[in-house]
Amino acid sequence: MKLTALRLHNVKRFAGRGVAIEGISDGVNVLSAANEYGKSTCFEALHALFFQPHTGTPKAVQLLRPYSGGNPMVEADIATDDGRYRLTKQYYGGKRASVTDLASGRLVAQADEAEAFITGLIRGGTGGPAGLLWVRQGITGIDKRSNAEEDSEKRVRESLLSSVQGEVEALTGGRRMAEIAAACEEELYRLVTATLRPKAGGRYAAALEERDKWFALEQRLATEVTTLRDALDKRRIALTRLAELENPDEDAARRAAIAAADKALEAAKSHSEALKAAEAEAALAANRRDTAARILSEFRAALQRAEDLRHQSSLAQSRRDEANANRAGAIAANEQAIASVQVAEQDEHEARDLLARLDAALLARDAAERLTDLRQRLDQADAARKQVEDSEAALALLSLPQQTVDQLQALEIELVGLRAAQAASLPTLRLDYVDGAAGSITIGAEAIPDATDVSFATSLRLDIAGIGTLALRSNRPPQSDQALDRAENKKSSMLAVLGVDSLAGAHQRLAAAREKNTELNLARQRLTDLAPKGLPHLHEEIARLAALSAGNLELKADPEQVRTRLAAATQQVAATRNSARETQPLRSQADAAVVTAETAHAALQAELAALDAILGPENDRPSREISLTAEHVTQKSLHDTAEARAIPLRAAAHDLAGAEATLNRTRSVQNAAEQQVGQLRVTLADLNGHIQARSDNAVEEAWREATESLAAATARVERFETEIAVLDRLLKALATARSAARDLYLKPVITELLPLIGLLFDDISIVFDENTLLPQSVRRNGQDEDVDRLSGGMREQLSVLTRLAFARLLARDGRPTPVILDDALVYSDDDRIERMFDALHRQSRDQQILVFSCRQRAFAKLGGNVLQMQDWTPPA
Amino acid sequence: MFRFLHSSDLHIGKRFGNLPEDLRGRLREARHGVLGRLADQARANGTSTILLAGDTFDTETPTPAMLRQALAEMGHHAPLRWIVLPGNHDSLLADQLWEAARGVVPDNVTLALRAEPLTVATGVVVLPAPCTTRRPGRDLTEWMSSAATADGTIRLGLAHGAIQDFSEDAAASDVIAPDRAARAGLDYLALGDWHGQVTVNDRTRYSGTPEPDRFKHDKPGQALLVSIAGSGSLPEITPVDTAAFAWRTMPLHLLGDEDSAMALDALLPAAPLRRQTLLRIAASGRTRLGGRTALVASAETASHDFAHFELDETDLATDCESDDLDLIDRAGALREAAQALLTESDDPARSAVERDIARAALVRLFSYAEAVEP
Repeated sequence: MKLTALRLHNVKRFAGRGVAIEGISDGVNVLSAANEYGKSTCFEALHALFFQPHTGTPKAVQLLRPYSGGNPMVEADIATDDGRYRLTKQYYGGKRASVTDLASGRLVAQADEAEAFITGLIRGGTGGPAGLLWVRQGITGIDKRSNAEEDSEKRVRESLLSSVQGEVEALTGGRRMAEIAAACEEELYRLVTATLRPKAGGRYAAALEERDKWFALEQRLATEVTTLRDALDKRRIALTRLAELENPDEDAARRAAIAAADKALEAAKSHSEALKAAEAEAALAANRRDTAARILSEFRAALQRAEDLRHQSSLAQSRRDEANANRAGAIAANEQAIASVQVAEQDEHEARDLLARLDAALLARDAAERLTDLRQRLDQADAARKQVEDSEAALALLSLPQQTVDQLQALEIELVGLRAAQAASLPTLRLDYVDGAAGSITIGAEAIPDATDVSFATSLRLDIAGIGTLALRSNRPPQSDQALDRAENKKSSMLAVLGVDSLAGAHQRLAAAREKNTELNLARQRLTDLAPKGLPHLHEEIARLAALSAGNLELKADPEQVRTRLAAATQQVAATRNSARETQPLRSQADAAVVTAETAHAALQAELAALDAILGPENDRPSREISLTAEHVTQKSLHDTAEARAIPLRAAAHDLAGAEATLNRTRSVQNAAEQQVGQLRVTLADLNGHIQARSDNAVEEAWREATESLAAATARVERFETEIAVLDRLLKALATARSAARDLYLKPVITELLPLIGLLFDDISIVFDENTLLPQSVRRNGQDEDVDRLSGGMREQLSVLTRLAFARLLARDGRPTPVILDDALVYSDDDRIERMFDALHRQSRDQQILVFSCRQRAFAKLGGNVLQMQDWTPPA
Repeated sequence: MFRFLHSSDLHIGKRFGNLPEDLRGRLREARHGVLGRLADQARANGTSTILLAGDTFDTETPTPAMLRQALAEMGHHAPLRWIVLPGNHDSLLADQLWEAARGVVPDNVTLALRAEPLTVATGVVVLPAPCTTRRPGRDLTEWMSSAATADGTIRLGLAHGAIQDFSEDAAASDVIAPDRAARAGLDYLALGDWHGQVTVNDRTRYSGTPEPDRFKHDKPGQALLVSIAGSGSLPEITPVDTAAFAWRTMPLHLLGDEDSAMALDALLPAAPLRRQTLLRIAASGRTRLGGRTALVASAETASHDFAHFELDETDLATDCESDDLDLIDRAGALREAAQALLTESDDPARSAVERDIARAALVRLFSYAEAVEP
């Protein structure tokens, strides 16, 4: 849609006259005039034409009316894809609306149909935002805003986002939406939290609490009512029972029953006494009869027994005598056997002694012979021993250690060597005498032999007769003879040790010792031969044999004969012992038989004696039996009499236990009744207390009240729940619609807006978040700035740009729409305005833009199609 | 000629837990006060006998204070004679109640606790059928048929319970023979239990409660003034007003564009009566969005005049057309939201509850939109 002309009549300052703006073209159109010239009137009239139904007179319409009154009339020519139309509306008197096709001059629609036509133009048919885009002086939205709202902190803190988003929402009816949503939220969140839980302290929470309170109370009271009703029922039953119990007739009946039972018991008791006495008598008689009978029968039995015993006793006596005789025989036989054993043993003993004596004599004789030999040998042995001892003593003196002798011998040989060596080294002198002079020179007293080498060791004084003394000195080193001296010394010490004077002596001693040793060995051999076990043994043997041989050496009998006799005697002993052993059991048996017989006899005798004691003297026995029999008969008849008395009593027996039980029962009935009465009274008192307490509290009424209150509280809660559901549903519907609108417009608008912003602010860049559509940052001169605060100029520029972007969006959508700016750029400086002009021109290639401005000079640079206001008179 | 006042179901002590707290006290007091009003009517109409056909007390265990005050109130009106019959709420099972009552009963009050003839005046015998338990399970008036009285005696039956399926308590196994009056030769059978007045036949009536306690019957609280010329003659019966409070249910049927607020105003009773009136408006029919919010607002205003006021909108449907939606917004997100709610409220695929909630949300949106300036 595009506007081509606007005409108005009788609007505001144009009372009674009309103005027209004709020739509005595509692109930018500028109506630049001073203030109070009527620009804003044109703007408002145009707005009313599109948004105010001709029938109503809301404030916006009232404002159109001149002070002097009259009927405002607005007319606009438009061009759409379908054709060109003239829209006319008149308010107040003669109110009308019409649409005329300019091409044909035909009236297309009137009244409501015309309104629908206009609505169709601005709605674009898809429920989109208002088709015209309006920007007024100093405000960023077409909607009126109160000063308080403008000044509120919220507005002060208006961000870039809300500037942009606010524009879009203003175009999409968003401000009312926000207020409605806020009102709805306020109501909802007074009741519940954001998660729809009851809000503490809220009316809903209170209603819930109230309901729960009543529920609890109702439950409690219902229980109490049940308890109360139960108590009432119980009391009723108790009272009924009590009345029954306390009924005088029943009481009398119970007492009569007791009296009757008492009487019956008495009767039963007296009869029982009589029966008891008779029974006792009968029992006594029976007892006596039985005793008499028993005594009699015992007496008779004793008599019989005594007879038997006497017979048995005589038999036992004869058996005893027989046993005694048998035992005497057995004893005699046994003793005889024992005696023969003793004789045989005596014989054997004697034979054994004799044989022993004979053996001893033989032994002594033999010993005496051996003793003589041994004594001879002992003498020889003693001699041999003495020889050994002598030899050993001699040998001890002679013996030399062979090793020492060997060492001596070696030393001797060494000495010879040493001497020879010495002799060879000694200075010698030789004197060959002149004849006669022999012996004139002496050594000491001894003359020096002629022509003989004399050697000396150290010095030598020669006395030369008549001449003097010649001293010769060898001057040999003193140690040259030391080895010899040491050997000599060693030899002389060894000789001293050995106790010989020379080596030869030693050898002689060794030889003598060897000889002596041979002698000793011979003597030892001899001693060993004579006494192989040593001399002491020999001595012992001799002593033993001497003892043996000291006995009687005579032999009085022949040992062989004696041995034969011993064997026979031994045999006899064994034979007699066997026969004695055979007789022993016979004797034992006889003894046992005697004991048995004696015991039997004694027992019989004892029994007999006892019986005699019972039976009494023999003579009285018959008479005693007779008297006992008579006694028995007497007692029997007495018992029969007593029994005859008891029988009728027994037959007429009363049930004493029964009578007693009856009495007890009737009494217990009475007791129970009395007890029950007591208990019932206690129960009643309790119940009365309970009932009284509860009925004083009027539990039933309270319960009914609680039940009703609970129902009311539940209904109230349900109402709240419905209310919450309704509010929640509404909020959701609003949120859904709002977010749908945002998705539909906000993002595309930002997409359109970004290049425009670039156009306007080459020194500024705004980055939007693709998801949240929030401006992320503003960069100016390379520096990040706070996006929260924008200058008024920038805000209005953004506002205009947003509308341009929005219009562009609609144009792309096939719904080109004019943008109308009424003094929209008051805060912007000239430089910025020129940039805005560029932006406007750039946009205007696709769409129509109407600019109303009072800044004539500044807007002169805008260019575009300059519009003029001219007088206009509507056609009659 | 014998004349008496027949009433029943006083339910003294009823607490009205389902009503707001401040109203409860007034309603309770009114139940006690009905004794005085009955006495006034008796005096005004020249009778000295009042038959109370059961449920004089609301529970079997009223507080001693309430019991004594009620009996004392009756005592104050001597020489008026009160015949008090146990009903199902205060049956003979309530021995606590009757035991206590016996102790303080004034001379001019007769407790009809036994099914035996009571001579209330020369030639006038009352045959009472006291309720033995809450649900006796048999026709307690049976004995009246065999109760002998002297010839020419006016026989008055006094009973409490359901006839056929009339009963305040749904269980109706223990019904009173509707023709008991004829069968037992009664000149009049005074019945209690049903809280609304009912004419069973010429000689048998339910008096209804003299002080209504619920909306159910929508009848004024009245007692019956009964005059009997003599034995066998038809009783002459006149209702007399006794209630302090009126419980009214008023239907308000709306048709589309009708001005709902005005329709409501036309319906409301005269201002002086409102304080003593408990009113329930049963709205039905159809209304537009605006009409509905106007009705609610108007009802809200009016409700303050009344002892109690309820607007039952259950049966009131809301019509919604596009110009109604235009009142919310002509376009934009708000319009979208309204449209979505409207669609949902008519969507047969959704449950009735969801539809109702969507419709209510739409109504709410409308009222918000009205409050927010365009």
